[in-house]
Amino acid sequence: MERFELRLQDFSLDDDQQAVREGFGDFFTKEVPSSRVRDAEPLGFDADLWQRLVAMGATSMALPEAAGGDDATLVDLVLVAEELGKVVAPVPLVSHVVASRLLARAGGAAELLTAAAGGERIVTLALQPVVGSNRQLVPDAAVSRDVLAWSADGLALHTLAEPAAHVPNQGSTPLAWFDPAAGERTVLASGPEAEALFRAAVAEWKLLTAAALVGLADSALNLGVEFAKSRRTLGVSIGSLQGVAFPLADVVTEIAGARNLTYKAAWYASHEPGARPDLPLAAFVQAAHAATESAWVSAHTQGGLGFTVEADISLFFLRAKGWSVLGGDPGADRRQVAAALLASV
Amino acid sequence: MDFGTVDLTPEQEAFQREVRAVLGEIMTEEVHEHERRTGDGFNEGVHLALGSRGWLFPAWPVEDGGAGLDRVCQRILALEIARHQVPTITMGTTNLVWAAVELSCDPELTAELKPEVAAGRVRFCLGYSDPEGGSDIAGATLRAVRDGDEWVLNGSKLWTTGAHNCQYTFLLTRTDPEAPKHKGLTMFLVPLDAPGVEIQAIRTYGGERTNAVYYTDVHVADRYRMGEVNGGWATLQGPLSAEHGAGRPDDGLSDIAMFMGTREFERAIDAAARWAKRTSRPDGTLVADDPAFLDRLGRLAVSTEASWVTPAAMGRTKSSLSFIAGIAELMDMVGPEAVLAHGAEGAIEGGEIDFAHRFAQGTATYGGTTEVFKGMIAQHVLGLPRLNLPGSKQWVR
Repeated sequence: MERFELRLQDFSLDDDQQAVREGFGDFFTKEVPSSRVRDAEPLGFDADLWQRLVAMGATSMALPEAAGGDDATLVDLVLVAEELGKVVAPVPLVSHVVASRLLARAGGAAELLTAAAGGERIVTLALQPVVGSNRQLVPDAAVSRDVLAWSADGLALHTLAEPAAHVPNQGSTPLAWFDPAAGERTVLASGPEAEALFRAAVAEWKLLTAAALVGLADSALNLGVEFAKSRRTLGVSIGSLQGVAFPLADVVTEIAGARNLTYKAAWYASHEPGARPDLPLAAFVQAAHAATESAWVSAHTQGGLGFTVEADISLFFLRAKGWSVLGGDPGADRRQVAAALLASV
Repeated sequence: MDFGTVDLTPEQEAFQREVRAVLGEIMTEEVHEHERRTGDGFNEGVHLALGSRGWLFPAWPVEDGGAGLDRVCQRILALEIARHQVPTITMGTTNLVWAAVELSCDPELTAELKPEVAAGRVRFCLGYSDPEGGSDIAGATLRAVRDGDEWVLNGSKLWTTGAHNCQYTFLLTRTDPEAPKHKGLTMFLVPLDAPGVEIQAIRTYGGERTNAVYYTDVHVADRYRMGEVNGGWATLQGPLSAEHGAGRPDDGLSDIAMFMGTREFERAIDAAARWAKRTSRPDGTLVADDPAFLDRLGRLAVSTEASWVTPAAMGRTKSSLSFIAGIAELMDMVGPEAVLAHGAEGAIEGGEIDFAHRFAQGTATYGGTTEVFKGMIAQHVLGLPRLNLPGSKQWVR
């Protein structure tokens, strides 16, 4: 990358993007009080909420028109994912949208694509390459019987008779073991093209998860800030004390950087694909860090109360890591960011 | 939302070529050497050369001594100034003070100064901090006492960077010790050649030179007063809010972060990256192939990416604090070669990493400490209550 290139730095949302953010923001705020998140535990899937989200167009908007979609961009999806993260909505939207887009690009069966666009069939993606018969944990595989996976043989769709068994987990997500030998296997693409499709889809998953983590971190922070405003000690509000306020200021700073990195990465991926493949990974690293910091700082700001299951911050704390770690160690992403840097100097 | 390249008109393209040619010519090795030796953040020849082209105040009309540049050309100029590592500290303080001069100075004096400032012959520095004041600049103790048509100044200021290369200092004084803290202050534009002004160099291990300036019975005519008597806080706020990034047009042509040190950090990171590609470990493996090195390098790269896009005051703390933490890490990653200074045998790219490590430390302090900014973020971004301390409103000596 050229350090002194003349480029715009315009982070503003246009009217359509603003409408997407507000529309989904209102929807999630209205539909998903924290009680609904709790009620969906431990599986982390609310079928009724999923239907309503489908009716909002969330599962079809970012598919190509030919596949029944509206050609919405990754920027739009980032905005939706951020709003979803703000309420930690128990729906498998990120995996499903990424896998559906991959399916469309790889020439998946029209019937399945239509069912995916309509949310009737939930599809997901194995984020690690399949090696031999090694099983792996796949996000949302406990509610999906269509799993896309890539191995040296190519990109394949594994169709199972039933979704795999849910494995209880800290983030209360529909996590399940994926066995590459299970189900009916259809190869959709092979060779370098298949690998490129897979890598791009993983980057999309990380970008949208980054956006969801930004939303999660934002809400977690607000819980801590509101507590700090109202709680008093020694005759003053605890939020006026630098020992309490400065960690919160650090957190909002990390979140602001993460949010803008997701925007920038989404813009590049939409408008100049291939120009900055490091940006979705950088956004994921930054957002995972921001979410981790926000959840713990906010919980700690609330003292012992923040450590109780009754406190809503618990929902955010458990998912901050419970969502981000599904993408694997951010160290792997940092190495890729470094590799891109090395290639550019 | 737009992060695209900008389509330049033929005139803008020609301007870009001109800027590159001019800066390529005037930013000689001698200028870089002068900056390394003096740490002035200023080079008179370069400053005057920019002034002669109207590039010190590039947005001003040509007839006022500017270059009448549009926003795109202003951005082109700023990027090339950064690329060529033009020393800009005194340019920056002069720009900042000019905003206050236009708002608050005697119109006749302003008219006199304008062409001189545009040409680069007159320059301004900041006389804000008292030796015991630190970030609490409103606690200034330097006294100004009226004497007929004159004022008599006594006291001292620290961190008056560039004073020895400037003609005036934008001086914060105490004119009413009995008034509440912010209501007993008055600003002056003090000629630095006035009798009783003494400038002493202070050296930083970042390689910079700043100054202590002593004022002993310095007589200043009332025409150099800026703004109302005891209204100094308002006079000072104008350019301070400019320093903190308020009021930029929202056209995507400004940096959104109030970044500090990110350019220097990136130069060190790039130098380390090139070093890693050509350097082998004792076991014969290339540093650039070491996954642990890559993991750490990637962390630093993410922190600079985030620094560029973290808005305003938050970008100020993010950039500076991640620079300080990250450059220390980079020193460890590179090892002993990282401490070799410019000119030392085997120094990496002219000691770029050594320089950045030393330079980083000041960025958390000047221009308002990271703590001052965290306080602003807590109050204005998060809406947390302000901490009221004994000296918040009263002048506590």
